[in-house]
Amino acid sequence: MVNLFKKLPIKMILGFLLGGILLITFANHDDFLYQKPIFKVETVRQISITKSKDSFQNTDYNYQQELTGHVINGQYKGKKLSINNSYTMSSAMDHKYLPRQKAFITLHNSSGSATIKDYKRDVPIIFLIYLAIALLCIFLKFSGITAIGSIIINSILFIFAIYLDGFNNGNNVLLIFSALASIFSAVTLFVIIGHNRQMYVTLASTLICTLISIIISLIVFKFTHEKGIFYESMQYVTQPPRPLFLASTIIGSLGAVMDESTDIISSLFALKMERPQISKKQLFLSGRNIGKSIMGPLINVLFFIFMGETLSMTLLFLKNGNSWGYSFSMNMSLGMVQSLISGIGIVLAIPVASALTSLFAKESQK
Amino acid sequence: MSAIIVLGIVLFILMILIGGKQGLQSFLSLILNFGFLFFAIVLIAFHFPPIIVTIVTGIIVLALTIFLSGTNDSTSGLAFVASILVLFILVLLIIPIENWAQVQGFGLEDSDDLEGLSILIGINFVKIEIATAILSTLGAIAEATMAIASGLDEIKEQHPEIKPSRLLFDGIYVGKQIIGTTLNTLFFGLFGGSLSLFVWFHSLNYSFGDILNDKVFDAQLIVILFSLIGVILTIPITSLVMAEKWRKDNK
Repeated sequence: MVNLFKKLPIKMILGFLLGGILLITFANHDDFLYQKPIFKVETVRQISITKSKDSFQNTDYNYQQELTGHVINGQYKGKKLSINNSYTMSSAMDHKYLPRQKAFITLHNSSGSATIKDYKRDVPIIFLIYLAIALLCIFLKFSGITAIGSIIINSILFIFAIYLDGFNNGNNVLLIFSALASIFSAVTLFVIIGHNRQMYVTLASTLICTLISIIISLIVFKFTHEKGIFYESMQYVTQPPRPLFLASTIIGSLGAVMDESTDIISSLFALKMERPQISKKQLFLSGRNIGKSIMGPLINVLFFIFMGETLSMTLLFLKNGNSWGYSFSMNMSLGMVQSLISGIGIVLAIPVASALTSLFAKESQK
Repeated sequence: MSAIIVLGIVLFILMILIGGKQGLQSFLSLILNFGFLFFAIVLIAFHFPPIIVTIVTGIIVLALTIFLSGTNDSTSGLAFVASILVLFILVLLIIPIENWAQVQGFGLEDSDDLEGLSILIGINFVKIEIATAILSTLGAIAEATMAIASGLDEIKEQHPEIKPSRLLFDGIYVGKQIIGTTLNTLFFGLFGGSLSLFVWFHSLNYSFGDILNDKVFDAQLIVILFSLIGVILTIPITSLVMAEKWRKDNK
């Protein structure tokens, strides 16, 4: 235990703590950066409470509160306002305001009144991002920094692809995002592994497995006539949903397939280096052994991310008198399909990554 | 037959062909995890306290995932202990931050989907969002603890006379190797999951500030950041748990 505390980089931790305090103080006063009027609540007065019951016997409470405070940015800075806000006990789409909280508002110029639009939540988001970055750097030092670098590059590429998709009005969505997926993999692996044979083998394995898993899924879709897949339940859709769904599945499963391939291939390259005499078949079998134990947990990672998102909506469906089956179909079926497709990709990565390594590691020996 | 069942069968066959008995166990853990996840939602719908239901579900899911995918029981036991520690630290972080960020329930972008539904269901959605965040991190925690625990196990087998302090150092080293790729799994998951949302933002000309404060996007981002923080915490905690056990065994 004592050893661990001795090894902790105290200077770095203090640096991040200081940086964090400065950043959060700044974020707390970043209102001048926004064009939309921001309202800071100073006093809150409870006006009324009413009990409500919907047609499914769900009991809830509606609250009315009067908020007084000032506009703190833009041309109406300093203007004193008193705004009525209503919120509910369940707070699905509303929020109970407390003194010192900030909100975006819409000012109605004619009447001089205003309505609340949304809570200002940039400070907690910035805090959490900073916390993640600080922990990455403290525990992992340089590896943390390269990992953050690859995320930043990928985010820029992702935004670029979104713009490109916008210019094409969603006509080539699948093409654009498949190309993005290839570039994503190449950039990420270059950053993590560097420019060498191992990187190319991993890249090949990642792309081949993602491609095969999508082809398998398309074949399954064709023979089952996509029964049980409800594209109409897809959220936030402004373009034809089917290609958008496939694109998001490709991008979503890519990381996990890459994860599995990298783990297998890096272990096998290390093994090959330690024991150059190892046979092709032995190398393949070792790859299978390594891959077998990671595939289960890895499939679960994406499964929980894809399914977790659907919790609120599924619950709402259940509470609105829908059956379990219907609630599942309308909210969870797409996440389930995505989890299964990425699962297929992850499992395929085991033989493909092992085979590619045993082939190419052999060649390097000649 | 529905496409989900056929895809499930394809995955099952592949897992058996490639993983054998371990593949069968992993597939079983996936099915059971789904069962427990759905069961948790049903319990919450029956007004059981959401956070407690989720923590209990979380412990069950971690146990299932870790014990059904591991080969060595004593390593799996240590990995399980480490994962529970990480889970509790995360819960202590998730509860205040979700209350602060207020990303619960639905955003304006959800309005179309909510048509005809009553949202006054009498269950506090902040708690539901906390439950969502906890559930979403489970997979990542289980994966990371397993990876580090089995890596350290390998090292212990190869060098039986290794010192506990050295084992701790090695754990951090193994962690460095897995973090880069795990980070990708999480962030590509986020990119994939929020693809249609970003197309929406683009077509409606959201500014950077709008996106930074957008409830729906922030909810997804926060979940990924919690998973990431969970994975980072896993590295020292798993190494510490294994090194402490090794120290006790060597005495």
